[in-house]
Amino acid sequence: MNREEVNPIPVKHKYFTPGVIVLMIIAVNGLVFLMGRFFLGLGAVTNLNNQYPWGLWIGVDVAAGVALAAGGFTTAALGHVMHREEYNAIVRPALLTAMLGYTFVAMGVFVDIGRWYFIWHPLVMWNGSSALFEVGICVIIYMNVLYIEFLPVVAERFIGKVKLPGFLSGLNRFVDKVLRLIDSDLSKTMFIFIIAGVVLSTLHQSSLGTLMVIAGPKMHPLWQTPILPLLFLLSAISVGFPMVIFESLLASRSLGLKPEMHILSKLGSMISPLLGVYLAFKLGDMFIRETFVYLKEFNTASVMFTIELLFGVIIPLRMFLSPKVLKSPLFLFIASALVVFGVLLNRINNFVVAYTPPYSTESYFPSFGEISVTIGFMAILILLYRFIVLNFPVISLPGLKTAQPTKYTIKGAKK
Amino acid sequence: MSGKSRRDFLKTSAVIGAGVAGLSTSTVKAAPKNILSEDRMGVLVDSTVCVGCRNCEWACKEAHDLPAGDLQSYEERSVFKDKRRPGTKALTVVNEYSSGKNSNLPVDVKVQCMHCDHPACVSACIVGAFSKEENGSVIWDTDKCIGCRYCMAACPFQVPAFEYDKAINPLIMKCDFCFNRTKEGKLPACVNICPVEALTYGPRTELVKIARERIKRNPEKFVDHIFGEHEVGGTAWMYLSGKDFVELDFPQLGTNPAPGVSESIQHGIFAYFVPPVSLYALLGGIMWITKHRKELDEEEKS
Amino acid sequence: MKKGLLIFFLFAISITVTAQQNLGKDHSKSNITCKTCHVCDVPTKDDPCLVPCPREKMKTVYESPDKTVDVVSLEELSKKYLPVIFSHRVHAQMSVMSGGCGTCHHYNTSGPIQSCKNCHQTYRNRDDISKPDLEAAYHRQCITCHREWSHGTNCNSCHSPKMDKKGFQKEEAKKKVMGKVHPALIEPDKIVFETKYEKGKMVTFFHDDHTKKFKIECTSCHKNETCLKCHDVNKASIEKSKIVKAQKSLDEHHKKCFSCHKEDKCGSCHLNKSAEPFEHGKKTGWALNKFHVNLSCAKCHGSKMPYTKLDNKCSSCHKAWNNETFKHSITGLGLDETHSQLNCEDCHAENNYTVKPVCSNCHENYSFPKQKPGKLVGRK
Repeated sequence: MNREEVNPIPVKHKYFTPGVIVLMIIAVNGLVFLMGRFFLGLGAVTNLNNQYPWGLWIGVDVAAGVALAAGGFTTAALGHVMHREEYNAIVRPALLTAMLGYTFVAMGVFVDIGRWYFIWHPLVMWNGSSALFEVGICVIIYMNVLYIEFLPVVAERFIGKVKLPGFLSGLNRFVDKVLRLIDSDLSKTMFIFIIAGVVLSTLHQSSLGTLMVIAGPKMHPLWQTPILPLLFLLSAISVGFPMVIFESLLASRSLGLKPEMHILSKLGSMISPLLGVYLAFKLGDMFIRETFVYLKEFNTASVMFTIELLFGVIIPLRMFLSPKVLKSPLFLFIASALVVFGVLLNRINNFVVAYTPPYSTESYFPSFGEISVTIGFMAILILLYRFIVLNFPVISLPGLKTAQPTKYTIKGAKK
Repeated sequence: MSGKSRRDFLKTSAVIGAGVAGLSTSTVKAAPKNILSEDRMGVLVDSTVCVGCRNCEWACKEAHDLPAGDLQSYEERSVFKDKRRPGTKALTVVNEYSSGKNSNLPVDVKVQCMHCDHPACVSACIVGAFSKEENGSVIWDTDKCIGCRYCMAACPFQVPAFEYDKAINPLIMKCDFCFNRTKEGKLPACVNICPVEALTYGPRTELVKIARERIKRNPEKFVDHIFGEHEVGGTAWMYLSGKDFVELDFPQLGTNPAPGVSESIQHGIFAYFVPPVSLYALLGGIMWITKHRKELDEEEKS
Repeated sequence: MKKGLLIFFLFAISITVTAQQNLGKDHSKSNITCKTCHVCDVPTKDDPCLVPCPREKMKTVYESPDKTVDVVSLEELSKKYLPVIFSHRVHAQMSVMSGGCGTCHHYNTSGPIQSCKNCHQTYRNRDDISKPDLEAAYHRQCITCHREWSHGTNCNSCHSPKMDKKGFQKEEAKKKVMGKVHPALIEPDKIVFETKYEKGKMVTFFHDDHTKKFKIECTSCHKNETCLKCHDVNKASIEKSKIVKAQKSLDEHHKKCFSCHKEDKCGSCHLNKSAEPFEHGKKTGWALNKFHVNLSCAKCHGSKMPYTKLDNKCSSCHKAWNNETFKHSITGLGLDETHSQLNCEDCHAENNYTVKPVCSNCHENYSFPKQKPGKLVGRK
């Protein structure tokens, strides 16, 4: 057995730290504005208008949210589909991020749409030609797939430990049985969900790019291209691992754990080719459509495009090629953060900066309320992540080797 | 052992494949109503005739139960200082521009939904609430709408408006070509009231002919272009002008339908669900092969 | 069989003839082909098969404004408003300088005047949408001009709302307008144009000289004037400033002048300051007396332009004048008996009548004008 054994356990660390308190304040501030949105309407909280129907919430909460949760499907593809089991240690944290990420994407959509109580409509009212419909359906299904993929973690945490309070204690045995049933049934069929998760991700990550294609000339030519879906998919794939590295290093720092550099370095070495492909398509598209002429002008669009490409793709691409960077937690963190920043900026650029409606008198900038809600959501996401990591077996601690082979394999093939 | 596993795998894949096939047929059925009738109606707006009386604005509000006020108050011409856009409180507005080359009179242009022949909103709407009707109008089902505002992002003319000020039941608003009036054989409210018939309502094909005839008969008065004849694949509302359309704030658009590229990408990705199913099968294959190879390796070693 | 054919032909011819007779008298003689107005070969009274709205190609009627109908009451469309009392004659008079009858009566044969509703349908919701309906036809004619000078689209400037119907008497309302004519036009004496011509920026146009002296018709220059030329609710914008900037194209400005001033050099109109009005005395050295000043130029100079210089012999014009026929009293000085016997040349040396005769030529003790050769009679 040369398989690297992993043993995810709940991390032992106190929940409250000064940082957590700050995050909570940010979260509460966001929730206050969220109340404003629900009681007074979108116009009261946001700077959106008839010219700019979509703003920060769609650009960051939804589009960037989906992209940055790509770590879930890329690591799943790596760990389970390609059976590179040495990476199993990072699959669960990535899965958790994806699950929380998609939950907040759904929340973001819920908050942004005007008639939130009809959010279920796309499930029964279908429009096959709508890219948004496809994104919506895929996100809903994928979110459920992620929950299913996460169920074993919950089961693992509670099997043999179910202790319901008071009068419910009579159900303890039953719940335990159900959990065991779920656990065993899921491990037989989990491969279906894992592949489905990868397919669904591929579909909606790309369709997210199709979204703005229909805006046609309303979108700045630096970004508007028929290959937007491909660019979105490629950028999502290339941001997957950097996001995992980014949060893994952040979590180990915050929870006082030793970073799993041997895995992260190997992961990091795979980023350059992915970024390279993305960069090649991006530049190729730019030269085929001859949009580089717009870079000669000095305006918001050209500056944002340059920052996105230079700091988000080219510099980290070079960094990940250097062995020194791959070995240093700090440089690895910086390089990953740059890619994350680059993709975040790319989504903001695509949905907000590039969008120039024909009759706007002044350009859109998110209101304080919109920003509050967005960072409030981020804060809540981090707080939830911290809570789950402290209470559920998500993070594997190196060195502790109790045999817990990965479960999500094609069961029958197991010896 | 491995034989059994392959059987399991194939069986599961078959079930999923069947499910997917079921989905794809219902997707076809679920497409929104998008009729491009030969006899569809349209309106020809002759901006050289329009006098900017704004009666159409009043009539439109009256017909759509929006607060309209007194007709006489529409004689006020100071509103022309700013260029206005159709919104939730006025589905159509008239803007005034300085005179064209052939006249010392100002040029007045009515703005409303163009009712595209290939509407981006119909293609974009997440719940398929929009539809292109047989009579040419592009309308929508308010009960379906979830307020996602994708129609607004998609519209090449930036027409749909949204009631941002409402917390409950905010609506998308735009010109509906007076669907309820035309259904009963009446004219659209604006066409009906226009004192100079700057708006001519009729079959689109006939309107194109009339517009051509007017340009031919008076080539010095008109720019030789019917806006909306070919823009974004044609629109039900078309304009004639004595001044360059760009100067009248008309967007410069190609002749390809607005949802064209997006729809071909969508239909490419989802061509009878073949690409996703193939991807699923491919990934399944890789998963099985890598697993199998690993096991063989391990067997060899042990 | 033959008989039948003959009858048919006769019948056909008679129809054609009646049709022509019923329409204008010179209907068939007009300088237009039948196809200009009729689609079919044999138009009849019942089915004239007129071509649809050939606005530009058609000949239009012309009637002197003063002979046209005085007031028209437009009441075909009376849903919201009372009939519109249209002062036809005043408008006809105004149309003289702005496009003529054809501005409104854009479609006609040389026959009877077509009324608008013959072609323009009274319903908006109709099959033939190639031409506007009646309401639109009326409004287009009226509002297009009215908004030019009123800068608005006020309905009530023509319409009275239906509410005050009780007090409305159509004949009363008509009477108010009846007999109205357009007030006399106030003509400018002169207009000074500031041009871009470097050597002489100012061109002075003596409007009254052209209209009064040369008797040039208004319409020969003012053909397609807009209402704004005379009418504007913002009076300030039409108030005549002393110097007008030349705005039209070079050709447009020169065309009108060149129709007469063909031979003139640039400098004869283009000066560096506004020109003095024409004075016969200053320009020719022969000041016109009371009698001559009232004559039209053509009376002496002939109708041929440009005018040629005349000699200053009275008999050049007054051919009938000689010693016998000329009554000296016409000059204001009735000659006494002795002087009336003299020949003209005896006093007016060398037939030069501009120089007053001097008594001392004949008399030693007399001097003109103290003593006169007759009685002052005063000029008639």
